[in-house]
Amino acid sequence: MKVTPVSHRPGDTRRVPVLTEPEVGHYPEFATFLRVTFGLDSNPLEAPGLLEVDGRVYELVFIGRSGQTFPAAVEISALVPGLEPMDTDQTDRDLWAIMEWLIDGVGEPWSVEALQTTGRIYKILPEAPPDDH
Amino acid sequence: MTPYQELTVYRSIPDLGPEIAERYPYESKFANVNGWRMHYIDEGPRHARPVLLLHGNPSWGYLWRDTLPPLLAAGYRVIVPDQIGFGLSEHPHTPSAHSLDNHAANLVALIDHLDLHNIFFVCHDWGGPTGLSALITRQARAAAVAVMSTWAWREPSSEFHRSILPWKTLHAPIVGPFIMGRQGAFPGRGMYLSVVNRERCLADGVSAYVSVQPDVGDRRLTWGWPRSIPIDQATDVAGERFDWLEAGVRALRIPSTVIWGREEVVFAADVFAERWHEIWPHAEGTHMVTGNHFLQEDSGAEIGEILVEFGQREAPPVEIQA
Repeated sequence: MKVTPVSHRPGDTRRVPVLTEPEVGHYPEFATFLRVTFGLDSNPLEAPGLLEVDGRVYELVFIGRSGQTFPAAVEISALVPGLEPMDTDQTDRDLWAIMEWLIDGVGEPWSVEALQTTGRIYKILPEAPPDDH
Repeated sequence: MTPYQELTVYRSIPDLGPEIAERYPYESKFANVNGWRMHYIDEGPRHARPVLLLHGNPSWGYLWRDTLPPLLAAGYRVIVPDQIGFGLSEHPHTPSAHSLDNHAANLVALIDHLDLHNIFFVCHDWGGPTGLSALITRQARAAAVAVMSTWAWREPSSEFHRSILPWKTLHAPIVGPFIMGRQGAFPGRGMYLSVVNRERCLADGVSAYVSVQPDVGDRRLTWGWPRSIPIDQATDVAGERFDWLEAGVRALRIPSTVIWGREEVVFAADVFAERWHEIWPHAEGTHMVTGNHFLQEDSGAEIGEILVEFGQREAPPVEIQA
């Protein structure tokens, strides 16, 4: 699955909050990576960040908190077409892909391999959809 | 309290189903601690010496289910709170509710609410930093203390807690809320992996731990507590409290005992149990029992017997005068 920052917000979609991280700077390198990737230093309150995962788009709203480095928190929402139900299994797979993209971007000592191994240990690695063929 | 609050129905032990209620057959009680609703049980003679059994992350009072009967049979009053954020207590979603200071203060509030004196503190995991901070704050009310798989200092830290795989990855930004929050890796799989007899835990324990944290927001503290362990300066949010706590426990000279699991992988016995004996040269033990991090799951009754044997010598279950 390919995760790509995009600038175009798809129309006729609604926000479905799927993950909230209230302490994105707990390990500061994570907040730094998001700040650089989405240009938050120059204009922190610009439009939300957008990530496309195989055609599906997720919105990242960055939140400040008095006394803390920006961004203090991030809310991730799926942008779901119209009033259609969200496919939560697909969302979990997409969130996993976003986490791999994040860890890869943050870099050492963090690693996608460690993330995947952790997922296997705790049996929460989202499974790929069944093959139709 | 408004008339509407009086009408509110909170989940209690029987609501968790007959199997859990049979293994933990006690009356649910609630106290207001610093504005939060704390669930606890309070069993045994009202005027007997109180034993305060304190759990950590991500368990609740049910962890002590096999430890309770020997203590009650010996004549103790046994009080088991569910720390705020766990079990049948309120689960605040506000991150700032979950500081070490606030959780320790919640136990102080419970001690005051119940007007407990001559307390025998028993601390496991985060029940150590929280319970021992409460003990130091109400030191005149403490009679004895037992510690197991816990700590009260910055260093030495646990090798397990310093590792990227799996510990730091488990609670990394965005990853933690997904793995431990959205997917519920704690308490389900996480507790299952941290006992010796996994089949027994699966049959008797896991459902009780999972069922009290049914929704994503309920699991806030499962990935919040790991972030409060003072591993390094960049991420430290509780180090000053740990400094204060270590100084407090070093000055403490009440009867103490140390109990540890032989198979413990989080807090290695040769480092952490030994540290307790360095801090408390007078402490008994280390009593080694079968057990990994959640040693009560494997040796709950044996731990109860060890506490009774120690308590009858050092803090007997006699009638207590305030």
